[in-house]
Amino acid sequence: MVGFVYVTLGLMYRQIFQASDLTRDAEYQTQRIVIRPPARGLIFDRNKQPLVENRVRWRVKADLMVLQPEIRKEYLKLLSQAKQENFFDKPDYDKLLENARVNILNRWLSKIWFVVDDNYQLNKTRTNKVYPLRDNPERRVNIDSLRKHLRESRAMKFTLISDLAFPGSTISKTPEEGDRAIARFIEQFPSGGPITLESDMVRSYPNGSLAAHVLGYVRDTDELPPNSEEFTDPILKRLQKLRYTGKKGAAGIEETMDYALRGTSGWELWNKTSTGYNKELVQSTSPVQGSEVVLTLNLNIQKAAEETLSNIRDSVGRPLPGAAVMLDVNTGEILAMASQPNFNPNRLADRVTNKYYDEIESAGGWLNRATQGLYAPGSTFKIITAIAGMRNHKVDWDDVLDCGAFYRVGNRNFPEHEPVGFGPVDVEKMLAISCNVWNYRVGLSVGPELLALEARRFGLDRPLLKNLNPSDTSKTYNYELPSTAKGMVIPDPDYKARIGGGAWNQGDTANTSIGQGFLLTTPLHMACFAASLARGETITTPTLIPTGGAKVAHIGSQPIGLNRLQLEAIRSGMYRCVEEGTAKSVRIPGLPYVAKTGTAEYFKTGVKAHLAWIIGYAPADRPVVAFAVLVEGQLDTSTWGGKTAGPVAQEMLKAWADIR
Amino acid sequence: MDKNRQGAKASYVALAVFIAAWVVLPSAFRRFNREAFAEFQAPALQLLSKGRDLSRYWELRSRTDEELISASRDLSRINAALELKLQGTDDMRRENSRLREMLRYPTSSEYLTVVARVVSRDTSSWWQSIIIRKGRNDGIRPGAPVVFGNHVIGRISVVHQNVSEVDLITSPTFRCTAFLDGDEPPRIVHVGGMAGNSLSAPRAKISVIPPGYSPPAGEVTKVITTGLGGVFPAGLIIGTIEGEVSKTPEANFKEAFMVPSKELDRIDEVSVLIPKYPSPGEILMSPGEFLKLEEFK
Repeated sequence: MVGFVYVTLGLMYRQIFQASDLTRDAEYQTQRIVIRPPARGLIFDRNKQPLVENRVRWRVKADLMVLQPEIRKEYLKLLSQAKQENFFDKPDYDKLLENARVNILNRWLSKIWFVVDDNYQLNKTRTNKVYPLRDNPERRVNIDSLRKHLRESRAMKFTLISDLAFPGSTISKTPEEGDRAIARFIEQFPSGGPITLESDMVRSYPNGSLAAHVLGYVRDTDELPPNSEEFTDPILKRLQKLRYTGKKGAAGIEETMDYALRGTSGWELWNKTSTGYNKELVQSTSPVQGSEVVLTLNLNIQKAAEETLSNIRDSVGRPLPGAAVMLDVNTGEILAMASQPNFNPNRLADRVTNKYYDEIESAGGWLNRATQGLYAPGSTFKIITAIAGMRNHKVDWDDVLDCGAFYRVGNRNFPEHEPVGFGPVDVEKMLAISCNVWNYRVGLSVGPELLALEARRFGLDRPLLKNLNPSDTSKTYNYELPSTAKGMVIPDPDYKARIGGGAWNQGDTANTSIGQGFLLTTPLHMACFAASLARGETITTPTLIPTGGAKVAHIGSQPIGLNRLQLEAIRSGMYRCVEEGTAKSVRIPGLPYVAKTGTAEYFKTGVKAHLAWIIGYAPADRPVVAFAVLVEGQLDTSTWGGKTAGPVAQEMLKAWADIR
Repeated sequence: MDKNRQGAKASYVALAVFIAAWVVLPSAFRRFNREAFAEFQAPALQLLSKGRDLSRYWELRSRTDEELISASRDLSRINAALELKLQGTDDMRRENSRLREMLRYPTSSEYLTVVARVVSRDTSSWWQSIIIRKGRNDGIRPGAPVVFGNHVIGRISVVHQNVSEVDLITSPTFRCTAFLDGDEPPRIVHVGGMAGNSLSAPRAKISVIPPGYSPPAGEVTKVITTGLGGVFPAGLIIGTIEGEVSKTPEANFKEAFMVPSKELDRIDEVSVLIPKYPSPGEILMSPGEFLKLEEFK
């Protein structure tokens, strides 16, 4: 009796008090939200030349709901076959259903390929005959994708071909072939059936691999940018949500400025069938495209840098890794930032093949050598040794030191790169001819601590690019480019002790004074150093986001701390380096500029090789741009600062001179 | 019971039995039925069309001598103008073949042309389909493009023994690819018919227009066939853009409306371009070949 009353009251409670809630819940179960990703914002260079665009992607999709009768028929056929083969065993029904789906989709794929592929288009010599389709696994249904689709997004159409017209894919080798494939599908494939051609936008990099490390690339994500309505409306909030796969930045500006580029998602409210497919669109909002981003890069200078850099080959004809940076002396705006080897972000925009990933990996193409590559600065560091010597009164601008063929430090002779030495050398001549002995002597008299202090004044060991979230108090830094180098080294006795390298000795000081030993910095740091020198200051904050002509405060920058004559001696020395010294081969008639070359030694897989450097600024009298170029020798010591890195600087300067 | 009510009940029952029978009948039978009905109707349509031609003939016979003289004068003038044009065309044809020879470019004779009169146009589907007086017996095949001069009219959708149905470019089932005037380099856009009822304006929708495209200022923008799809020859005019080219709500692409040429409203005669060799799409649509393809799955 008690149980009866309990059940009756319970039923009454549900019927009377919970009726509206339960009815609403039932309605919610018949609806769902599908979230659509927005198009990403475009990226331009400083002159509004497109660097990153969105191109049309044509996808062939199958509506599994419409295909259900066909799949059912196939399933029954397979079931009957299985029963005929073994009547007494219970067949694996799930497997049979999956096979039925795959068979039907493959059948449709055969028809699609028959229509769109060049090989199956009938030519004049053939008659009305259909040829068997090739058994190419890439052209068949990917079972894993189908399983994932049925598990996660059964309501949506299944993508049979993800990018019908992408040049370079297995489908289309050229843009023309891609256009033909689309046109054939639209004009020849029977319409109104379960197979549809849909278009959306996918990232496109019109200049291919140009500035790839700066721009980055995108990858698939299910975390779509939020739509505010999704969270405010209580009804929408409760509904089941399915998401299309969107894109998010995976490197470069695409990653660091993803918050601006990604836009806002749209959503669709659908009534669904009992089997989980979308039946009827009830309501929708459109996605909103991401914002445009304008960078400081100049397409012409970037092209000049990358083309010249890619033409530098080793003795067996392979391209040498390297980096080049050019920036505005006053604003720190980066006009060009190149790194070789690089990658083609177009090939990463949709689906990255393991083969292409491994290709980039083995070539070392992921590394942005301009901001992430750590190198000994070689003789370009001699400018800092000279500044340290003059600021610490160990040498003055007109002091002449006698520089022989070597300098004895402890029990070891440190050599000059000229076998007979240079004789009397002052600051100016030292920079023109890159005399080693002068630097050993001055470096040793300054001492390692003061030498390190001077290098730190110029910020050679600190992060450079701007933080994009300056107002963020959580100290989550979001620099303009991701993963910039943090391991720069300005060595001193403490550093050597810290890494367990033993006691500091005079040989270490001599090595540091010529930019070798433990010293490590990046090409971007050296370009900023050249810009600071041009302004007569210590720090330059580089940026990829235009400053809009506003006066730029280079945070932490101080006057260089040299008198007019001392600074003039350094600049004249660098000018002579171009006019008559180590960079003579890359002088530009009509464009006087200053530079310092460097050739540092390092060991590449046990073999001694050279790092070729050149840094400087132009024009010599009223500096506007500063630059740094680095090339990694690989096999031998045939690379040299002026000879190898110089032409890259020369071409960048010519490109700049053409547009200034 | 009232006899009338009994009769009404019987007719409802008959209707229900007929609908039930229609639903359970195999699709092949229904297809056959449709085809048989079309074939049965075809002679009547042809007769009607020929009757119209005859009445037009007698209407012309009733004209006065003055009217005929005036019409003849007009025709002489048009004839002279056309003669002049023809001469220019002959020169161009010679120049064209000379250039083709120089470039070893194959001659374009991939289509056979069949001229056909329009026999019927239903007012309820004025902008969607027409029926022409040529069919399978005249070599017409499904999917073949139908043109008037250098304007696309539509595509053959169904072929019967002596007549064929043409899907007009304003029909919602029509689709093709096109290039837009002033798009350099030309990029593919999608054209799909969108005519509603017969009283609505004939229009088609042009979609997937690249966001960077702007129509040439002050000119009527033509929509031209691409020739890439293997159905329509390149360079035929599908229509012109009407109004502005606007961005989609998502700002991914642009879209615009297209109006077909004026001739589509009062078309009497069309040319069907029959490809010499069937396209794969045509093979897919023909049941026999379709089955052959099934074997290769």
